[in-house]
Amino acid sequence: MFRPARIPRLSQALVSRVSRVSHARGVAGTTPQLPQHALGSLPTSTSPITSKLHFFNSVMSGEKKIPTYRVIDGAGQPIEGAEVPEIDKALALKMYEHMVLLPIMDETLYNLQRQGRISFYITSFGEEAAVIGSGAALAPDDEVLAQYRESGALLFRGFTLDDIMNQCFGTYLDSSGKGKQMPAHYGSKKLHWHTISSPLATQIPQAAGVGYAIKRDPNRRGKNCAVVYFGEGAASEGDFHAGLALASTIPTPTLFIARNNGFAISTPSTEQFYGDGIASRGPGYGVHTIRVDGNDVLAVFAAVKEARRRCIDEGRAVLVETMTYRVGHHSTSDDSFAYRPRKEVEDRKRLDNPIVRFRLFLESRGWWSKEEETALVKRLRDEVNAAYKRAEKLPKPPVEEMFSEVYGGEMPWNLKEQREELKGLIKKYGQTWEPWKSELKKHKGEGKEFLE
Amino acid sequence: MLSPRQPMFRVLRTLPRLQHASRRWSSTEPPPAGGHSYTIGTSSLLKPTRDVALRTQGLQWVDPMDSDPSRDMLGRETRKMNMYQAIRDALSIALSKDDTAIVFGEDVAFGGVFRCTMGLAEEFGRERVFNTPLTEQGIAGFGIGYAAMGHTAIAEIQFADYIFPAFDQIVNEAAKYRFRSSGDFDAGKLTIRCPSMAVGHGGHYHSQSPEGFFMGAAGIKLVIPRSPIQAKGLLLSSIRDPNPVIFMEPKILYRSAVEQVPIDDYEIPLGKADVLRRGSDLTVVSWGTPIYTCESALELLAKPPQSISQHVPPSVRSARVELIDLRTIMPWDVETVVESVQRTGRLVVVHEAGRIGGVGAEIGAEIQKKCFLKLNAPVKLVTGWDMPVPMQYEKFYMPDNIRILDAMVETLTF
Repeated sequence: MFRPARIPRLSQALVSRVSRVSHARGVAGTTPQLPQHALGSLPTSTSPITSKLHFFNSVMSGEKKIPTYRVIDGAGQPIEGAEVPEIDKALALKMYEHMVLLPIMDETLYNLQRQGRISFYITSFGEEAAVIGSGAALAPDDEVLAQYRESGALLFRGFTLDDIMNQCFGTYLDSSGKGKQMPAHYGSKKLHWHTISSPLATQIPQAAGVGYAIKRDPNRRGKNCAVVYFGEGAASEGDFHAGLALASTIPTPTLFIARNNGFAISTPSTEQFYGDGIASRGPGYGVHTIRVDGNDVLAVFAAVKEARRRCIDEGRAVLVETMTYRVGHHSTSDDSFAYRPRKEVEDRKRLDNPIVRFRLFLESRGWWSKEEETALVKRLRDEVNAAYKRAEKLPKPPVEEMFSEVYGGEMPWNLKEQREELKGLIKKYGQTWEPWKSELKKHKGEGKEFLE
Repeated sequence: MLSPRQPMFRVLRTLPRLQHASRRWSSTEPPPAGGHSYTIGTSSLLKPTRDVALRTQGLQWVDPMDSDPSRDMLGRETRKMNMYQAIRDALSIALSKDDTAIVFGEDVAFGGVFRCTMGLAEEFGRERVFNTPLTEQGIAGFGIGYAAMGHTAIAEIQFADYIFPAFDQIVNEAAKYRFRSSGDFDAGKLTIRCPSMAVGHGGHYHSQSPEGFFMGAAGIKLVIPRSPIQAKGLLLSSIRDPNPVIFMEPKILYRSAVEQVPIDDYEIPLGKADVLRRGSDLTVVSWGTPIYTCESALELLAKPPQSISQHVPPSVRSARVELIDLRTIMPWDVETVVESVQRTGRLVVVHEAGRIGGVGAEIGAEIQKKCFLKLNAPVKLVTGWDMPVPMQYEKFYMPDNIRILDAMVETLTF
C-alpha cells in the first residue's frame, strides 16, 4: 500500500489533538481511559490503532455478556456475595402491598373488559417487582414518562384506585384526561406523571428534554431526574436511538428503564434484536448501564436507587434493563396462547414469581405472616371492587368537553363552527335517533349544553 | 470543511451555506447581481424607511414606551435587516426576555447553515443555544419534553424537507399533548422553525412546502412570514403562543427580502391575514415567497409587455385585485378571506406545494361553502404540480408570474 512520507508527522499532530479530546471526555466520566498505543489513534476517535484484524460482536462466543444483578433467590434469601439494600420495614411493606394490589386490580379490570364493561385494558402480570421496585426507588417528584405497563409505580406515588377506575371508565371525574384517551393511559401533573400516549417510544426523546428542563431549573437541578419507561420492543423504534443519543451528548439527568419482558405482543425478543439485549446498547452511547433481575424487587430497587443517584450527581443519563417475563396477555385484545405455549407461562408463574420471592424475604425477616397476607388480600379486593363500582355508576364527561383543550388560548373558528354544527345536529336528532339518544344519557348533563 | 465522516447527503444539506459563503452579504450591500428575483429585491411590499416600517399594520409593541398609546411610535428605532437577521433579532429578544428559552437543532451553535442563529451561542451561552445530534425525531421529541415542563423550546429543523422524520412527534405528540391530558400537560411552549419553499436549485429535498401535511394536525399552528418585519413579529408571537407552532421560513427570502425592522420587541398576531392591496374585482390569496410573484403578476396584468399582451384583454388590465397574505396557515383567517371574496366574487389561491391535499384545496372548499352565492367564477388554484420538486424543471414547476397572470385573466374573464 502506498504510504506518503508525511503520515508520521500528521499522526503525531493527531495524537496531541486526541489526548485533549480524551481528557475532556475523561472529566465526563463515560469513556474509560484507553492505554496509549504506539500507533496512536484517528483524529475523530479515541480508539487506539491496532495491527490485529479482529471483529467484535457482543453475542458470539468469546465476548463477555452483561451480567444480571440479583440480590435474593427464589426462596427470598440473599445470594452469595449479595448486599441487601437498606430498606426499612415500612417501605418494604408498602412495596409489598402494592405488588399484591397490582395483580388484584389488573385481574378485576381485565375481567371487566372481558365482560364488555370497559373497552380495553393492559395488565402488568409478572412485572410487579420491576415496576414497583423501580417506582419505589424514585423520588415522588421525579418526572416520569411511562409507556403503559407501569401503573404500579403510579399507584405507589399516590394515584388512587378511584383515579384508575375513573380513567378506565372515562367518567367525568377522570383526572387523567376527561375521558379523551383509551383506558390505561393515565397521567397526573400533581404526581409528576406525564400523560401516557399509545405511540411507542415517543416518550424517550421527550424524557431527554424533560431532563434538560430539570437541569436548567435551579429549584430542581441536583434534586430530580427524568425517568422514562419502555419495553424491549419499543427500544427498536428510532426514538429510542434519538433519546439515548440526545441524553448522552447533551448531558441530562435522564434515567432510562427498559422492561425486557421477552415479548412485544407476539414477537419474542429473539426477533426484536440479535445483540445482548437492551443493556448492551447503553455503553454504545456512553451511558452508565446495568442489567437487573426484574423479578427480584430488592435488586431492582437497589439498582434503580443507585442509577438515580448517579443520574442526578453526574447530571448524565443512566440505563437500567430489568429482565422479566410478561405473564399476562399483551392486552385485552390479545390471546398470547396463539404464539406461546400455555405451559411455558404456567411454569414461569410457578417457578419465578416476584411476589412470592419478596414475601419469602419478608417472612424470613419476621415482617410478614400468613394471617396478614389473608387480611391484606381481602382488604385490597374489597377496595378494588368498591372503586370500580363507584366509577361504573358515574356519567361520562359533558359532551361539550370534547371540544376543549384542542388548542390553548382562544378556540379557533373551525372548532367553534364545528361545535355549533354538532349542537344543531344533537338538537335535531338527539331525542329521536336511538344511538345518540342512548349515548347522551351516559354523559353528565345528558347533552343539555347542546339542547338548550 | 467537509470531514470524511459526513455522508453525502450532509454535504447536500449544507449546499446553500457553501454557495453563499464566498459572498457574505450584509444589509448595506445590494442583492447579488442575478442572484435573486427582481421582484423581491425591489418589491413595494417591503418597507424601506423607518416611518413606513413603524406604521406596519397590526404590529403590537410588547413594551409600551409611553402611557399614551397615540405617542407609542415616538422614540422607536429601526434597523435595515434581511430576513435571517430579523429572525436572529427575534430569537435574541426571546432568549433575553425568557430565561427558560433555548434554541437548538443541527448546526445552530456556529450560527446555522442560513445564519439565523449567528452569535447567539456566544451571547447566551452553549447551555441555551446548542447543537443536537442529527436526529429530527429527536429534536422534536426533546423540544416537546422541554416544553412540557413549561419551558420555552425553539427548535430548528434544518430544512422543512427533513421535518418528516419528526412527523410522528409533531402530529401524534406535540399536537395532542394538551388534548389527551385535557390541559394537565401541554407542549405549547414549543416552536419549530424550518426553512421552506423553493430556492431555484433545491431539487426534491431543499424546496418543499409541507404546510399542507400539517394543516389537519389539530393542536398545531402553522405560520409563514413574507418579510423581515413580518418574520420577527410573527416569530415572537409563535414563540409566546400557548400552542406548538411550526414556523416555516421561505429560505429564498433570507437574504433577498430587506427592510427597516423595528429593533424593539413587538408581535404580529397569529391567525390574522394581511391585506396588502385593496381591490374589488378579484381576490388573490398566497403566503411566503409567492406573495412577491403575485405582486409581479399584478404588474403584468396592469401593463403586459408586448410579447404577451394578446393574452391579456384590455378589459382586465384595469381590474382592481385584492392581494392577501395569509401569514397563518392554521388557523387561517377565514373571516378576512370570506369578506374579501364576498366583495370581489372571484378567488385565486397561489402556493408552491402540489395541489392535491394542499392548503389551497382546503381554502377553496371553505370559500365555495361560505361564498357560494357571491362567486362569479370557480376558485382557481395556482400551485406546484403533483410531483416532487424537479431539479432542472423548476421554472415550469413553480407557480410563476405568468401562471398567476393566466389564472387571474381566466378568472376575471370567466
